[in-house]
Amino acid sequence: MTRPATQRIVAVLVIGLLLFVWELAVAWGWLRVYQFPPPSRIADGLREMVTTGFPTGITIWSHTLTTLWRILQGYAAAVALAIPVGLVIGAFPTLDRLTASVVVFCRSVATLSLLPLAIVWFGAGELTKVVLIGYGCFWVMLSNVIAAVKQVDPALVRAGRSFGLSGPRLYREVVLPAATPRMFAGARMALGVGFMVIVGAEMIGTIEGLGALIMEARSFYRSEITILGMAVIGLLGFAISGGLGWLQGRLLPWESGLDAVRR
Amino acid sequence: MEDAFRGGIRNAALRHVCVRTPSVMPARVDHDAVAPAFGGAPSDAIIEIDGVTKRFPGRPGPAVTVLDPIVLRIADNAFVSIVGRSGCGKTTLLNILAGLETPSDGEVRIAGIPVRGPGQGQGVVFQQHALFPWLTAAGNVAFGCRDPALSKADRAERAAELLRLVGLEDAAAKYPREMSGGMQQRVAIARALALDPRILLMDEPFGALDELTRIEMQHELLRIWSARRKTVVFVTHSISEALILSDRIIVLAANPGRVILDLDVDLPRPRGRADPALLAHYERIWAEISA
Repeated sequence: MTRPATQRIVAVLVIGLLLFVWELAVAWGWLRVYQFPPPSRIADGLREMVTTGFPTGITIWSHTLTTLWRILQGYAAAVALAIPVGLVIGAFPTLDRLTASVVVFCRSVATLSLLPLAIVWFGAGELTKVVLIGYGCFWVMLSNVIAAVKQVDPALVRAGRSFGLSGPRLYREVVLPAATPRMFAGARMALGVGFMVIVGAEMIGTIEGLGALIMEARSFYRSEITILGMAVIGLLGFAISGGLGWLQGRLLPWESGLDAVRR
Repeated sequence: MEDAFRGGIRNAALRHVCVRTPSVMPARVDHDAVAPAFGGAPSDAIIEIDGVTKRFPGRPGPAVTVLDPIVLRIADNAFVSIVGRSGCGKTTLLNILAGLETPSDGEVRIAGIPVRGPGQGQGVVFQQHALFPWLTAAGNVAFGCRDPALSKADRAERAAELLRLVGLEDAAAKYPREMSGGMQQRVAIARALALDPRILLMDEPFGALDELTRIEMQHELLRIWSARRKTVVFVTHSISEALILSDRIIVLAANPGRVILDLDVDLPRPRGRADPALLAHYERIWAEISA
């Protein structure tokens, strides 16, 4: 038997044992059900979420789709706006100096602290949620785009200049491609922020979405459903991050250099 | 990138005219038969450096003079090395020749034309890591062939030819990250040769390579140079590298950067590293640098 296979079996056994102990601990009254819902309870919750839904009629699928759609709108708008703005700011050092403090300030304001104002401005509907997600994603993406452009290796710029390139052509043909890996990393970070913001953004004015599900379940002492909501968010983040990593490898094959020859 | 080459000329004859860049260049004699000219007779000088100085504003304090007035004539097809300690201004001088920096005073002329910027017949090979990592070996070389008169197919063909010249025809599809340091610098040389420049400027191109690769690359450079005769200005801080390669060695001192020795190396190639004549030159240069 190969080593990785052994390790996998051990890992499964350990997790299985842990779940078993957890189950027993609740059954024997060491842990309270609503604080630490046992695996069997979570499994029941999952069955309920898939069939009748919670609150009744809203299945786990529609919660997930609603959340994904909100994140997608806010995220896409943020990235689409941050890339051109960042590229312009990064191109002009003066502009960068002028805007640097604003960018740091806005990025540092915790997105959820904007929730009350956002409700006043945009109401408690869909728009507020999308705007909040967009806000969180935008500043992270923007500062990464600016940094990506600023951190381009001067040796590459000099090489480009030695072929007579300057101005916009130098920017487009050398600076831009050289900045793409960092911009891609920024896009992944921004998406992570989107997932962090979503729970808070869905706390008010809706009963649909994973964040709303988590809060709603809490008020009914349905901790197992809260746990399910958390798990789905974790899985989504995991899957999307992996997907973006795969996409990055496809779009920027030169960056990973998997079959690198090292001498 | 596409639009730059939309005007690609299909007519082969016309293309040929466009590719041979500055038309001012004197008719070149058979490359292999002619030994490079030595010395600095102004008549056959392709590079004229006239009282070039470079000062940087000192913050705080007085301005720092990196180059004191430098006057040099470099003969066509010569292989000239510039040697000196770090901070002697050799890279600054090379950048001025490349048109990447402007002198504070004085002027550089290439084939009689004052240098106003890059792209006046200079090809530059930098230290390592100046290849574009997002382009393959062929892509990097083709990047150098950005003559608007060349169609995309012509550029690819030319890049392939140059990669053949540097012995890398099999590595055309590799990205810089997948290549060894020596291979990367071969690509850098091919890229610098892409527009058939009159002068090849090299800024410590083998400085980051290990000793064995470095020796290999020195031979490789001499082979390429004998195939494509160019005027080469080669910046290095290795005296032995300069001796193996050059027709002429210019030694700079620092603070301020100035010429302290201008030495013709009139030895046949290939040169042995232990050749007594070579070692005598070595001692001479070292004596000047350590003085």
